[in-house]
Formats: sequence, structure tokens, C-alpha cells
Amino acid sequence: MRHHWGMSTTAPVRERTEEEEQVVEPDVPWVVIVWNDPVNLMSYVVYVLQKLFGYSREKATKLMLDVHHRGKAVVSSGPREKAEFDVYRLHDAGLWATMQKDR
Amino acid sequence: MAATFKRLGRDRVRVRLGLDEVAVLRGLPEQLRAVLTETADDPVNRRLFPPAYLEPEDAESDAEYRRLMHDELVQGKLANLEVVTDTLARGSSTVRRWTVDLTGEEATAWLGVLNDLRLALGVRLEITEDFDGQVDDADPRAPAMHLLSYLGWLEEHLLEALSSA
Repeated sequence: MRHHWGMSTTAPVRERTEEEEQVVEPDVPWVVIVWNDPVNLMSYVVYVLQKLFGYSREKATKLMLDVHHRGKAVVSSGPREKAEFDVYRLHDAGLWATMQKDR
Repeated sequence: MAATFKRLGRDRVRVRLGLDEVAVLRGLPEQLRAVLTETADDPVNRRLFPPAYLEPEDAESDAEYRRLMHDELVQGKLANLEVVTDTLARGSSTVRRWTVDLTGEEATAWLGVLNDLRLALGVRLEITEDFDGQVDDADPRAPAMHLLSYLGWLEEHLLEALSSA
């Protein structure tokens, strides 16, 4: 697979096992966090956020500056599957991203 | 150094490098390929394939994520490397200059590889503070720091070309 940035058709499907489905998960949204990194270029982070999430240059730049100055920023949120796919795409692009429940 | 990336229309980026630069770049994909195909749990692999979940309560989810996604991520990076290796072999040289025209997709692969190379180098050099490209020649890490700086400079120029739609 190449860098299919922004193309959801290439998302690996996460299959749930029966056991997992029996676990009742509270319906909380998840947030995707990008962490500061001493090597990634600021311009690269802006480029990736625009490309992956379709953000405007202004919004992507603001998020990048939050990452840079505060050490991290929430770049997207939503149901668990969406968050995990976003994390995957950020990892594919070399950004240091994690996800957690929003609470 | 007189490398340039120039956008030629919607789906074409021209790369012009000095012959010495191409020689340096040709040596790099193999090193990254070796790191990617190692299964060792070393710091470079931990940076290129970070955890998706940090909370202790999500440890199982993280193991699941790794199981399902790690190979996909490796394959994506290897595919990018192949594009870079192929296009480095495809270009044409004059006495002092080397040139190749990349499609948009190939240029994106170059961007990914330049970034992965820098991430890997950054870990090896134990860079923890923001790296501004300045290198202290008294530092024993200076040669590799210069390479990191050069790759950053290339990446910055490629980004400019890709953003100048």
C-alpha cells in the first residue's frame, strides 16, 4: 500500500470478535491526539493535517502550533472506529498520534 | 547544494539534484528497508510504529491495533521506498546534474520516505529538543546531523512544490 492519504477505501477493516461485542462500551466519543515531536517539520505537520482531514491551511496551522507550543493537540474525534482509522493514517504519515476516550 | 523540486502542472514534479546528492540518496533506502524489516523492538521501530492507545485500560486494544495494522504500515513504507529506489534509478544525468520527473503519487512517496528517514535518524541521534538544522561541527554526531539537516531542507522544498498547486 502506498500513501493513500484521504482515501477511506483503503481502510483495513477492523473485525470485532463476539467477545468484544458482548462488552458494553459506554457511548463516549474518542479523541485523536498528535504529540510534539522534535524532528517532524512544522510545514510537514500542516501538510498532513490538511491532506488527511481536509482542514483549511489556517486550521491546520493552528493545530500544528498547539502541538508545537503545548506539546499536543486534539486533531479529530468521533466513534472509536473513526478515531482508530485516523490514528492509523497519522501513523502512516509518520506523526506521533494516540487516541483515548474523551472525558 | 542546488537541489530543486519544481511543480510542472497538476501531476508532475521535476527533481533536479547534483550528482553528489543523488549518490547520497541512493545509499539511504536500503538502510531504512533494513530497519523496517527488522522485527526488533528498538527505539526506531517504536517511533515509526508508535502505540495507538496510551491508557493502561486500553492495553488490549493497543495489542489488537498492532496486530491488525503493523504490517499494513510496514508495507506502506516499503512501497514508498520502492518508488524512491525506482525513480532514483530512472533519472537521467548530465555532467553535473541529475533530473527525474515524478508523478504526484511518486512525489508523495518521496515525501514519506524523506520523513521516515529523518524520523529514524532523529531517534538514532537521540534528538530530543526541536532541531533547527544548525549543526555544531565539534559534535561527534555532526556528519549525521548534517545529513538530517540536508534531508529536512529537501523535504521543505518538496513540500513547497507540492503545496504550490
